[in-house]
Amino acid sequence: MLNRSNVSDNTVVETEGRNQFLPVSLKLAGLLLALCLVPLVTHFLDRGNYVLHIFSTVYLYMLLALGLNVVTGFTGLLDLGYVGFYLVGGYTAGLLMVRMGLSYWFALPIAAIHGAIWGLLRGAPTLRLTGDYFAIVTFGFSELLFRIVKNEEWLIGGPNGFVNDIPPPVILGIELYQYWQQYYHILILLLVTLIVVYRLQFSRVGRAWQAISQDEEAAQTMGIGLYEYKSLAFAISGAIGAVGGAFFAQFQVNISAGVFEFWESILILCMIVLGGMGTIRGSLVGAAILGSLGEVLRILLSILKLPADSRYLIFGLILVLMMRFRPSGILTDNPK
Amino acid sequence: MVKPILEIFSLTKNFGGVVALNEVDLKVMPGQITSLIGPNGAGKTTLFNCLTGLISLTTGRIQFQQTDMSGMAAHRITSSGIARTFQNIRLFSEMTVLDNVKIGLHTQSKGYLWSAISRNLDYKKEEEQVTTSAYQLLEFVNLAQFSHQQANNLSYGDQRRLEIARALATEPKLLLLDEPAAGMNPQETNELIHLIHNIKSRGITIFLIEHDMKLVMQISEWITVLDYGEKISQGPPDVVQSDPLVISAYLGQSLDKQ
Repeated sequence: MLNRSNVSDNTVVETEGRNQFLPVSLKLAGLLLALCLVPLVTHFLDRGNYVLHIFSTVYLYMLLALGLNVVTGFTGLLDLGYVGFYLVGGYTAGLLMVRMGLSYWFALPIAAIHGAIWGLLRGAPTLRLTGDYFAIVTFGFSELLFRIVKNEEWLIGGPNGFVNDIPPPVILGIELYQYWQQYYHILILLLVTLIVVYRLQFSRVGRAWQAISQDEEAAQTMGIGLYEYKSLAFAISGAIGAVGGAFFAQFQVNISAGVFEFWESILILCMIVLGGMGTIRGSLVGAAILGSLGEVLRILLSILKLPADSRYLIFGLILVLMMRFRPSGILTDNPK
Repeated sequence: MVKPILEIFSLTKNFGGVVALNEVDLKVMPGQITSLIGPNGAGKTTLFNCLTGLISLTTGRIQFQQTDMSGMAAHRITSSGIARTFQNIRLFSEMTVLDNVKIGLHTQSKGYLWSAISRNLDYKKEEEQVTTSAYQLLEFVNLAQFSHQQANNLSYGDQRRLEIARALATEPKLLLLDEPAAGMNPQETNELIHLIHNIKSRGITIFLIEHDMKLVMQISEWITVLDYGEKISQGPPDVVQSDPLVISAYLGQSLDKQ
């Protein structure tokens, strides 16, 4: 009798667990399917390509926000120069493809590795720094890279760092330059990044990062090597930023230094702050809101005959309101 | 002859012009409960910080299990078998009780990038093992029922015990407890004494800083006394208690002797 009741108890628990699990995975599968069907819907729209362009831009920002979140969210170090890795990826891929005729499929991983290397290089002098001091170094790093590509002549060969006519990726002789192709391209990159970052968060490595973000000294006395785990976060974050840059280079066809300005770092930072620091869902939601808002404002501001850059005023206003009413982000477990 | 598990040779630590520790020699015998006492500001916590590598020592040598540990990085000291708790509880307060202990198990597991990203068999096995060990430790300190609560929601005494569980997770041979009974009521203190004896019976050597003299005299087999960064006395509890130097350090000197 006792045995039987035990067995039935167990089965109840198990089926409950399954019932809770299935809808979540079903919801995710449904969402994914819906995202995959977007190009089919936009195909019949008047300005469908423009909608696809906005979607792709938002996915790109989501990818960048996930990458920045690895350092700023997981290990708790404020990174004000994330655009530096974006720049490294963009120029690495762009130059390799234009100057050396390398295929995108080789240029992309090389760009990622290059981004990781810069992550480590930037990490070396900053490993002992936290807080404001770390933030200042990261800011300096991205400004340096920006000034270099803007002014040097030996590598890119001209002012403002123009790299033009970056070819699209090619699969089986088909050039992937159309909007719907680019849409799937960035969607896949985003999904891979999402899986990597998500799985890292809930692993021994992710726990170590979280420990570092809460108390560096206590983390050390738990046997966590600070330099090792911080470097790891820097490298992964740098690689993700560079992947975003490589995609961006072929997406834009022509790139110049101007798109890698400091503001872009702040925009990505705003995304993860807005969504909820340290959470993956937060990064995605923040990027979706600010990424699409940027496009909406572009239209709205031109109707109102205001300069495009005044959109930063709106972003600033949103952040001020967030800090006042929900300082730990939209999606967070503990609104303070 | 049993060799000491921990030996400190003329350890000196200066903070600028302030001498926090001055030529301190000290021994901790394996399997024993050793206490470090002294008035506030005597340098007890500084000594623990030097031992665990959180601050560097100015001169001197620390020998743990016959190997020189001076100047070793904090995380390496932990992996070689010294764990600690903090005077002002330093839990990972925004993480769950269970995750706090899981972080303590960091050195006992080795999953890295690839196992985490691929979620292969190694990952699943290791995560399962980490969870099981974490629950065992929580049961050992009687906190299993709070496993999914956020650490800073625990009561003060529970937080202290969680910190001990987290330190035990690193599988130390020597456990440093920095004022474990601070802020505890008599009943909690009694439970703590019981817990310390349980830890000792696991074969772990205990070295503790404590101000609760009743507790210190009751459980210690050896006591070292610091005052103004210098060792002024050592010995079994009854010897230290009657040492005039110790009495004057705590109570001051009587007028007629001056």
